[in-house]
Amino acid sequence: MEHYDVIVIGAGHAGVEAANISEKYGLKTALITKNLSDLGKLSCNPSIGGVGKTHIASEVDILGGVICKIGDKSAIHYRVLNLSKGPAVWGVRAQIDRDLYSKHILKYIKSSKIDIIEDEAINILEKNNKILGVECVSAGKIKSKAVILTTGTFLNGKIYFGREVKEAGRIGNSSSKELAKFINKNFKTMRLKTGTPPRIYTQSIDYDVLEPQPSENNGIYLSYFTKQNTNKNINCYITKTNNKTHKIIRDNLDKSAMYSGIIKSEGVRYCPSIEDKITKFGDRSGHNIFLEPEGLNSDLVYPNGISNSLDIDIQLKFLRSIKGLEKCEVDQYGYAVEYDSVDPRELKLNFETKKIENFFLAGQINGTTGYEEAAGQGIYAAINAAIKLKKIKFNSEVFARNNSYIGVLVDDLTKLGVTEPYRMFTSRAENRLKLRTDNSYERFGININKKIFNKTEFTQIKKNINDESKIIKKLLSLKFSPNDLMKKNIKVKKDGKVRNGFEVLKFLEPTIENFKTFFNISINQKLLTKIYFDSKYEVFYDREKKSYEQLNKNKNMNLKNIDFNKIPSLSKEILEKLNKFKPENLYDAGKISGITPSALFQIVKHKKIKGDRVA
Amino acid sequence: MFKSGTIFSNFTPLVKSPVIGYRISGDDVLEILKKLTNKNFSKNHSRVQIIKLFKRDGSILDECSVVYFKSPKSFTGEDVCEVFLHGSPLIASQFEQTLKEFKIPGLRLAKNGEFSYRSVLNNKNSLKQAKAINQIISNDSFSSLEYNKKLLFEGDQVSGLTSLREEAVDLFSEITASIDFVDDEEFNFKKIIKKAKIFFYKCHNILQKTKNMNKEKNICKIMLIGPVNVGKSTLFNKMIDKERAIVTNIKGTTRDILSNEFIFDGRMFEVFDTAGHRDKQGKIERVGYKKAQQLSLEIDHFFILSDKYSTKKQIYSLKKDFGIKNNYTLVETKSDQYQYQSKNVKINHNLEKDSVLSRLKISLIHKKYVSYKVKKADFNDEEIDFLENILQYKHDILNESDILIIAQIMRNILDDFSYEFGYINNEDVYDRVFSNFCIGK
Repeated sequence: MEHYDVIVIGAGHAGVEAANISEKYGLKTALITKNLSDLGKLSCNPSIGGVGKTHIASEVDILGGVICKIGDKSAIHYRVLNLSKGPAVWGVRAQIDRDLYSKHILKYIKSSKIDIIEDEAINILEKNNKILGVECVSAGKIKSKAVILTTGTFLNGKIYFGREVKEAGRIGNSSSKELAKFINKNFKTMRLKTGTPPRIYTQSIDYDVLEPQPSENNGIYLSYFTKQNTNKNINCYITKTNNKTHKIIRDNLDKSAMYSGIIKSEGVRYCPSIEDKITKFGDRSGHNIFLEPEGLNSDLVYPNGISNSLDIDIQLKFLRSIKGLEKCEVDQYGYAVEYDSVDPRELKLNFETKKIENFFLAGQINGTTGYEEAAGQGIYAAINAAIKLKKIKFNSEVFARNNSYIGVLVDDLTKLGVTEPYRMFTSRAENRLKLRTDNSYERFGININKKIFNKTEFTQIKKNINDESKIIKKLLSLKFSPNDLMKKNIKVKKDGKVRNGFEVLKFLEPTIENFKTFFNISINQKLLTKIYFDSKYEVFYDREKKSYEQLNKNKNMNLKNIDFNKIPSLSKEILEKLNKFKPENLYDAGKISGITPSALFQIVKHKKIKGDRVA
Repeated sequence: MFKSGTIFSNFTPLVKSPVIGYRISGDDVLEILKKLTNKNFSKNHSRVQIIKLFKRDGSILDECSVVYFKSPKSFTGEDVCEVFLHGSPLIASQFEQTLKEFKIPGLRLAKNGEFSYRSVLNNKNSLKQAKAINQIISNDSFSSLEYNKKLLFEGDQVSGLTSLREEAVDLFSEITASIDFVDDEEFNFKKIIKKAKIFFYKCHNILQKTKNMNKEKNICKIMLIGPVNVGKSTLFNKMIDKERAIVTNIKGTTRDILSNEFIFDGRMFEVFDTAGHRDKQGKIERVGYKKAQQLSLEIDHFFILSDKYSTKKQIYSLKKDFGIKNNYTLVETKSDQYQYQSKNVKINHNLEKDSVLSRLKISLIHKKYVSYKVKKADFNDEEIDFLENILQYKHDILNESDILIIAQIMRNILDDFSYEFGYINNEDVYDRVFSNFCIGK
């Protein structure tokens, strides 16, 4: 019987990242998947990245993950969202060739020391709430010190084509019932819903009448390490729904799984079905549809923007009312999926279940949505497993909420739970100005280690860090008085304050030429942009931090040793919640849903009088 | 199961008076009433009754009115009872002692504001309303009193901040949407930044307006001056009616001059008693007299008191010392002892307060110096502080074109609003984003 350090069940984006990093940190790792061809499958839209999503993905990248690197290898179209705003919210998005992505992932995993077990896991083996291993259909019992479960939406999955219901996870997969039983028995679950649009044959689309959206392959890639993308880049196209489309949908709302009352769970607010859009925003004359090619050699197109659960004849009818799609043919109709996810509050901060030691959950099973969110959790869970089993050198402080999007995600999930599939938005991060993709090597710097990168990659990071520190050193040594700056046409307050080069940088237009003439230092544009915004935001952080501290003087109040039961003026509901989540400080307490400010006030008051006069 | 604990406190001062009131709130109210009355006090018991209360040794504590409010129809939302004891501080102490001797776990003296906070926890009042109760009690002006009453009785929407809060959340939602969902809708950044600026101008204007309004006074300041022993203090005491003690806001200690506010005919006055004037003043008296002179600049109207023995010269030098022009009334005191021939106002200590004040034509004086109209306020003091706090960000936003920095500042502002109204979290913002914008594919 094989004995592993880590077994990862499920080989989607969470599973692949988990297995990969676990192996890199020297743990004996197995990856169980029902079907090798599903390895790292892009099960929904054929793209990686976007605002918020790129942010998580780039953290996975710098932690040694694969999603960005393989994403770039398989990319056939790039766009950078928010390019007109600061780099803190730039969102690279790449259209991915599905087949290429699967091919590259498979090749990569096969070349690693990970044992791939093509089998179905049917049970989790544990004794006295400690993990023992996994039981598979053909391989039988396999021992392991830790198990990371990343099985996505397999729990009690139901698919709705209009009013027709099928039991399944994703199309083509049967629900793994045994495993589901184990999860349902041991953990609190919740019902979530998501939807997907129909897939259209590319030959049946009339592209001549549509507005193309060309690729902007402008040197900004998903991965920090990517130098270029040599794939052929192809266009996406934009079309729009119209009043005729809307009428067809409106007249047939009773044929939608969501609107006929068959599906009861709440819809995802940020991923509305076309039925939702038309009901809520009926005044619009049209909603955009992005026609995204599924690959260079694929004959399918993913029409982003029209996920729905209407009867299939209605789907075809409304599709053919849309410009360019008048003669379209459909391969796979849109559907809605309902599934169970584990309440992520069942997890400790390290993503180990509270109930079973060394049993980790990662990915969509925790109530999230998106490849990048899954990848982030996969790598996070595996790093924590490695810390626990092998005591690897890793400073977990990088996963603090104010240092990383992974930290924001982990914090939100484990503390607040979810009511709809959780997706990352940059606005979830209070410290957004700092959590940038262009400084991830700095934010995770202390953990960058030779083990997880090849030589070229490692040298690249080191060189980057060295180059930057040299330039910063020079900048700091340069001094400018207000008079010097006036002479160079830079308007500053005549406060007599001598500023160093770094402080002055924010007043310049950040071009290489400007930088060279002003400071007489050579620099590349990428690095210049980074330090320019560091210069611009740094002063602001300080003030921000100060005023924040001043306003929330008590937010950091330590609540670790406080017995909430001794605060007699708290309501029972609030007390229950406080005892359940055990917030470490007042700020965390305030984020627990249902905790009122007056309750916080009571806690502060109690803490300040240290319980005297309290019976 | 955890019980939140029953609390009690007196709601009248513990001084000799007709009645001393106690309020008890919590799960144990019925049990306490049973023990106090030796009767089976049930939830259906009549709500108001006069009933005998007993001490632990069986002797009578008091016979008094007891009002029972069944949860949730009470101030705190818990079971509440109010007991109106005879106004002896000794009975009050026996009452507290008896409660202690019941040894009910968790029963204790309430902390400051605890009844109000329970009412917030049980959704009987919003955070703002609970704060308004405090503001009402500590009110110094009629205009803010009216405002705070409205806030308490009609709810948060009365507050001028409510609309600002709405605007701030909307603005932040739009900024959030324009960054995180840039692909899904068309956003106009110039417009968004302009909206942010307008928001601040609005805050600024409101603050200025409110500040100016608060500068407008609604209190009439009067000062009693006159030779020694002419009866100034007698009049002072009569005016402020010490025995009924409606207003006992003595500020004088800081000025070595007695001053007190009182209300007559719905108008507010502050009256200053001064050290008397005589030719040979002691050192302390001289200091007091000087201070009164300095204070005279703030005074609207003077009452110059005199009696049979006061000389014209004395009155003349008083007028000179205090820089008095036409803003004075000559008052002749002790009119029960002496006969005066003049047309001056005459008073004596046998007169009732009201007739003294009407002889002094004090309402007319108020009208002459103070615009009586009660201004309509939109903010209380706490809210004005809050606005000032928000405006500290004004400079940053007005000079900023980076939407990320603006977003960061707006987030701070929402945090501030959270503390005023209750928590606004990311989810609340997203709710608004997703209902105002068609987000997602």
